[in-house]
Amino acid sequence: MQLAETTPDRTVRLGAQGVTRRFGPVLANDAIDFRALRGTVHAIVGGNGAGKSTLMRILQGVDRPDSGVILLDGAPAIFAGPADAFARGVGMVHQEFMLAPGLTLLENLVLAAEPVDGFGRIDRTAALAKARALEALAGVSLDWDTPVENAPVHVRQIVEILRLLYRGADVLILDEPTAVLAPAQVRELIALLRKLRDEGRTILFISHKLDEVLAVADEITVIRNGRVVASLPRSSASRDSLAEMMIGEVLARPQPRAAAAGAPMLQVTGLSARDLRGHAALTKFDLTVRAGEIVGIAGVAGNGQDEIVAAATGLGRIDAGSIRLDGIEIAGLTLAQRRSLGLAYLSPDRAAEGLCLAAPIAENAIAGHHRKPELCSHGVLRRKAIARHVAALLDRYSVKRASDRQPAGSLSGGNQQRVAVARELDGEPKLLVACQPTRGVDIRGIDFIHRCLIDYRDRGGAVLLVSEELEELVTLSDRIVVVYGGRITGEVARGTAGLEEIGRLMLGGKAA
Amino acid sequence: MIDNIIHAAVVMTTPVLLAALGGLINRVGGIVNIGLDSMMLAGALFGLIVASMTGSWPVALLAAAAAGGVVGLAMSLAVTRLQANEIIVGLGFLVAVAGLVRFFLSAAYGSSGTLSLPDVARLPRIDIPLVADIPVLGAILSGHDPLTWAAWAMVPVTVWFLARTRLGLRLRAVGAAPQAARALGLNPLMLRDLSTVYAGIMSGLAGASLSIGVVGIFNEGITAGRGFIALAAFYFGRNRPWATAACALLFGFFDAFQIRMQGRGVPAELVQTLPYLMVIVVLTAVALAGRRAKARRA
Repeated sequence: MQLAETTPDRTVRLGAQGVTRRFGPVLANDAIDFRALRGTVHAIVGGNGAGKSTLMRILQGVDRPDSGVILLDGAPAIFAGPADAFARGVGMVHQEFMLAPGLTLLENLVLAAEPVDGFGRIDRTAALAKARALEALAGVSLDWDTPVENAPVHVRQIVEILRLLYRGADVLILDEPTAVLAPAQVRELIALLRKLRDEGRTILFISHKLDEVLAVADEITVIRNGRVVASLPRSSASRDSLAEMMIGEVLARPQPRAAAAGAPMLQVTGLSARDLRGHAALTKFDLTVRAGEIVGIAGVAGNGQDEIVAAATGLGRIDAGSIRLDGIEIAGLTLAQRRSLGLAYLSPDRAAEGLCLAAPIAENAIAGHHRKPELCSHGVLRRKAIARHVAALLDRYSVKRASDRQPAGSLSGGNQQRVAVARELDGEPKLLVACQPTRGVDIRGIDFIHRCLIDYRDRGGAVLLVSEELEELVTLSDRIVVVYGGRITGEVARGTAGLEEIGRLMLGGKAA
Repeated sequence: MIDNIIHAAVVMTTPVLLAALGGLINRVGGIVNIGLDSMMLAGALFGLIVASMTGSWPVALLAAAAAGGVVGLAMSLAVTRLQANEIIVGLGFLVAVAGLVRFFLSAAYGSSGTLSLPDVARLPRIDIPLVADIPVLGAILSGHDPLTWAAWAMVPVTVWFLARTRLGLRLRAVGAAPQAARALGLNPLMLRDLSTVYAGIMSGLAGASLSIGVVGIFNEGITAGRGFIALAAFYFGRNRPWATAACALLFGFFDAFQIRMQGRGVPAELVQTLPYLMVIVVLTAVALAGRRAKARRA
């Protein structure tokens, strides 16, 4: 571990000094200070709404601080925009990837700095040679002629990083880079970042995932409510201490007690379904979820989970099989009919499916319940009743908001998810299908949502939980069903199997 | 008979193909240009006027291209700089240019709707010796004006431009991901303006091919909605130049057929709808067949 104190000759490559940014009454950044030294990985850690995004926008020149300055090579600097920041060696990999669809990986790599001949023709040989050199540097092998939309997510991310290198950036800002990656890919990414650091580049790693921060960072700056609460070297940080600094208190992990399961709420029998490409994804699949029980589904992404969820919610077609909700066959019913029978669904894609980000929070909170007579009479919405209902509902779920009329998209990710959870659990459904319920949510939000799910179960609710976070599955599930290739490879009851055993089953190993 | 129809089909394809290739580039750059027809109209009028004034068809083509380009630039600036909706602006230009043309005709020439000028330099026909005498092939290749040759030459050039050149790559990037392109230091608005001006130039030439190529006079209804057929062509061709050209050819064929059918007892107004109707029918049939083939593969 190399620390600033022991190597005083190291210079600040990128930093902030007293950066303050105010949006109306909200102080998004309050005198933020940090110094990322050349040749280090500097992590900036904070929960949803801590002010990380605002700081990133300022470091990219998209936004300007009200006061304070950016430090570049130790001297104050102002960036006119992302292109200017780029020109000075500071590049960013955004949370939503910024590759242009319709272009190949190679075209995206060289875009805006294409090697050309005298006629404005792209010199493909030169471009490919550079691509191969970068590929070797990253220790990967890519098919550069693949169109972006056909490349897997982690490949796109690597191309974005390589593009920064191609353009000569030596400061790489990565905003929540692991949010879309599987565990093995996270390890690859961390190895790549370490390698780039060892070659003298500076990496700013923005995250709220503490295990990854501890795995990759040299220095850590923790921000909370727009302020820097701590700046410390990796060697003096621990998961618990960081978590405490991040949220300002110690959270005890929920410890749900074992509960007796009741009548079957979801009964799937002989289900066969195909994936979007038309390949068989599930064949004769059986699954039961009882009242008062959380059943987790564990599996590497793409092993049939999506199809189980699509079949249960009615979002996808099935080829054969029966799906019963509290004893009633729902396989042929519409989504609205299923919902009125007591089905609730927490979507993994909050932005596209879970919420309508452009619509007010209040409308999001009643969507799907809007036909109920207490909210709507003869096709006309009852505004006052809705306002009362929504205010009470959102208060119960502690959604931090300025107004119920503000667009859902103006909330932080964690608060958006609370709105979705509040809506789905409103009216006590019989079955909740929860997919990736805490994706992109910070520790405090995760804790809150977990408690909501456990309380719902304790009240007699049935939960089908699909998650890529194994720890989440193990914490919440009364039973975990492991799927591989569209079949069940094992089932483990609470407390009977460790992560290793589940991981083995996820890769197709049979239950012992 | 068949040679006549083939020859006429190639002639009637030219204006649609030119405008469609311009609109294709525009759409790749991120703007759906529904105002192509207005740019065609401006090109048709100014092409004819300059052809009469100068007696030179190349100068007339330059004027037509400039007229279309200016309309394109005005439209583009409204969309890119004033953030106006491209559909509304396109509609506005269709109505406004038609009105201005009518006003200009009556104010400058005292005519209502039609303009016939003396000494109009028509586009020359290029007759290819020997080939002209071969049945079918002669009708396809011989006796066409330079604009027709240019239009078909632009099809592979457009393919090459989009796939292989720096500007083509940047245009695709700007159309598909303007934010990303901007972050890399490109200027999406400028590139979009450029693509709309190009669409205007191509549409202006398309207009000239009607006024000084096909008929030799100007009429306010001369474009007959061909700008919209061009729109259908590059939409259906999914921005692929050859597929777009095929769609333009389809329209050209039925347009030629329609001209032949006139004066054979069927009401002219009905016959004139034939090419438009057939474009809808054929495109629907092809789309249905495509969907069925896809379902069979799955």
